[in-house]
Amino acid sequence: MPATPSSKTTADKTSSQNPQKYGLTIGIECHVQLKTKTKLFSEVDNDARGKAPNSCVSPVDYALPGMLPRLNGEAVRLAIRAGAAMNAEINPKSRFDRKHYFYPDSPKGYQITQFYSPIIGAGFIELPSGKKIRIEHAHLEGDAGKLSHYADYSLVDFNRVDTPLLEIVSMPDISSAEEARDYCKELWRNMLFADVTNGDLYNGNMRFDVNISLKKPEATELGTRAEIKNLNSFRSVERAVLYEYERQSKLLDHGEKIVQETRGWSDATGKTTAQRSKEVAQDYRYMPEPDLPPLNLSEDFIQAEYSACPKLPQDYRRDFAKKLPTDTLEVLLDYPLLMSRLSELATDHAAALAYIANLFSSVLLAEENASLLNDKLPEAAKLAELADMKAQNELSSTSAKEIFLKLFEEKHYDKSPRALAKELNLIQENDSAALEALINEVLKDPSTKSAQEDFKNGKEKVLGFLVGSVMKASKGKANPAAVSKLLKNKLK
Amino acid sequence: MEITDKEISHLASLSNFSLAADEKNALKTDLKNILKYISKLDELDVSNVEPTFQVFEMENVWRPDEITPQDASCEALLALTKESLDHQVKVPKVL
Repeated sequence: MPATPSSKTTADKTSSQNPQKYGLTIGIECHVQLKTKTKLFSEVDNDARGKAPNSCVSPVDYALPGMLPRLNGEAVRLAIRAGAAMNAEINPKSRFDRKHYFYPDSPKGYQITQFYSPIIGAGFIELPSGKKIRIEHAHLEGDAGKLSHYADYSLVDFNRVDTPLLEIVSMPDISSAEEARDYCKELWRNMLFADVTNGDLYNGNMRFDVNISLKKPEATELGTRAEIKNLNSFRSVERAVLYEYERQSKLLDHGEKIVQETRGWSDATGKTTAQRSKEVAQDYRYMPEPDLPPLNLSEDFIQAEYSACPKLPQDYRRDFAKKLPTDTLEVLLDYPLLMSRLSELATDHAAALAYIANLFSSVLLAEENASLLNDKLPEAAKLAELADMKAQNELSSTSAKEIFLKLFEEKHYDKSPRALAKELNLIQENDSAALEALINEVLKDPSTKSAQEDFKNGKEKVLGFLVGSVMKASKGKANPAAVSKLLKNKLK
Repeated sequence: MEITDKEISHLASLSNFSLAADEKNALKTDLKNILKYISKLDELDVSNVEPTFQVFEMENVWRPDEITPQDASCEALLALTKESLDHQVKVPKVL
């Protein structure tokens, strides 16, 4: 289940008071974990969630002498599909390189990546605002292991070693904190809808590195940049950019220099802190990976994967532009399965669409039942029946919501909304004759006499009491709107 | 190409070696000779030659995405490490 971080904006007083003082230039690198069954270069389980450390490992992951990487073809396919979701060119020819560094998270002493010839070329992501953020390129690479640090030692878990990553590098086209957040969110949605990642941000399925530099509006060259590493929510991206703007502009105000460095972000303190200086360029000694033959993909192969990309958020925005309010649509656009279900409704049960979309957005999201939306959704026909019963006043709003939620429960999977409504005794009495009989009974009751007099004397508020009495007499099954209308006519 | 002491130290640190002073000098001489020998190749004009990245002329070699039982168990692999704790590899503190 993908975590959906809040998209509320943190208003930063200082920067919003003086937004023009320095121009912001932001480029973002994003690492997307691809949802393959096995790792990028070995045949072991790629899904280590809930498993013991060092249990999803092979001699290849441990880089034992003589072990050779074997490329996972599915990762190549998913990369192409991800490319389609970024409107990107796919490079038929690509290959792998070694990036050397010594650190305990990498038993090989190097990372296998695509430095010289990446699989995905130029593309773009279109933000909901319509602005296009260009993608420079995207490449496949293996992830590193996970370190945890203790007082006088560190522990290493190799489960994540060579999990397939797609690193997506944007052009420095982003110019505000909000835009940085929107870009990350839209990229996340596109990867989720393209079905190339589980998209679970909480578990680091997508991690963002944000490069930020400031310059005076009249300056022609970009300022020195700082890179904030490993952000894993849209909100942290936005907050980190706002913080960096403040930090860097204060330095510039005082005529000080920005140091080119990597910084870390803390959600708790709301600050970035220096991690390591990048003034001395790292010497990774890139060299072609001799153990992996290059890729030379045919046009047919690329085309087949490209067209296998499912509908993307921008497709749904176009489809639903005139059918659903933008606010509702933007809430629902975090859920690929839900959007495809709404498309079925729009095609086969158009009348039900607006009401059902509203139910999904208000009931599920308000009640934080969002996780339901990624599993099994009720069939379109059931949703249409529910909408119809509501439209015919067979169900009150409250009852319709109640049944809607029940449809997600496993024990009710095979029941229709009508069957459920009958079972739960929720069908409203709309039959005028039956309602009239009830009303007559209530009006005969001496305890309602004074209310009836009050209403006739213009105190319309007491109608509520009378409707309530009828509802009580009907054991909650009468349609209150119908009762109210009939009562008014009778008391005139 | 001039091989300086600084260059040797840089290469040693990239390779995670610690070198004694006399080793540095010996390596400096060796490396100079190797580079001199290889520089013979500079006489050839290769401006119109595609770089060779792979000599077997294979391409698009990949495997299906299927989990396969491994010959070495995860216990056996962990046992190869110098020290372990809680099923993790224990290393001197980094960061």
